[in-house]
Amino acid sequence: MSAVIKTNTPFIIESVLVEALQAVGAEPVKVTENILQDQRHSGGLLVGDILTNRSDYYGLQHFRLINNRWVLRHDSSEMSGRVKSAKSAVSKGYSRVGAFLELVGQAYESAYQQYLGMLAEQERIRLEEERKARVEATRQQAIAKAKAQGYSVKETRNSKNQIQLVLTRTV
Amino acid sequence: MPEQRVVITIDEEGSITAKTSGFKGESCLAALDDLLDLDGIITNLKKTDEYHQRQTVQLARRQEIKRT
Repeated sequence: MSAVIKTNTPFIIESVLVEALQAVGAEPVKVTENILQDQRHSGGLLVGDILTNRSDYYGLQHFRLINNRWVLRHDSSEMSGRVKSAKSAVSKGYSRVGAFLELVGQAYESAYQQYLGMLAEQERIRLEEERKARVEATRQQAIAKAKAQGYSVKETRNSKNQIQLVLTRTV
Repeated sequence: MPEQRVVITIDEEGSITAKTSGFKGESCLAALDDLLDLDGIITNLKKTDEYHQRQTVQLARRQEIKRT
């Protein structure tokens, strides 16, 4: 006997997963203490789990962080599988877990690319802030030392909009 | 009274270009070092005509003093 299997995309980053779940209309909700009191699930829920609007025999299907990966917990036979939308009266049809995970995986890839773009932008902003701070520190240090050494300081900008300090003193 | 002048330009990355005038010989470098802590960060040093002229004058004066 032989078999070929394909695993779903590893869901590692919570915010990316939530975005992907929103994109596929799974209406993710993070489980809090309050939700834990209201929500019944035969398999047990934990604070931090991410609920979807898909339910089965046990209750709402949800993701749980297990060994640094978000894993969908569901009834293996998908008995009583249905979608209960909290936002839309028109409920979408229930798709099998495999198909659902594949859809989420595609959305996750897309959200992950956006996430990388956001990280790059954050890094660019951080480097820009560092650069500005470095220029300002250099400027302040030069002015302070010049004044301490008896120079008079005149600050201007040159044609390239660079800071120019003209220090003069008589000896 | 002679005037010593230092023009410091700080570029977008925080690098500094400094130009001095009115200093005698190597005192301009010492003055810049006092101002900017230059040890180990200079990538380019160009000595101006004034620097060399002053050095030459000073050298000539020293030689004259020795002869007398």
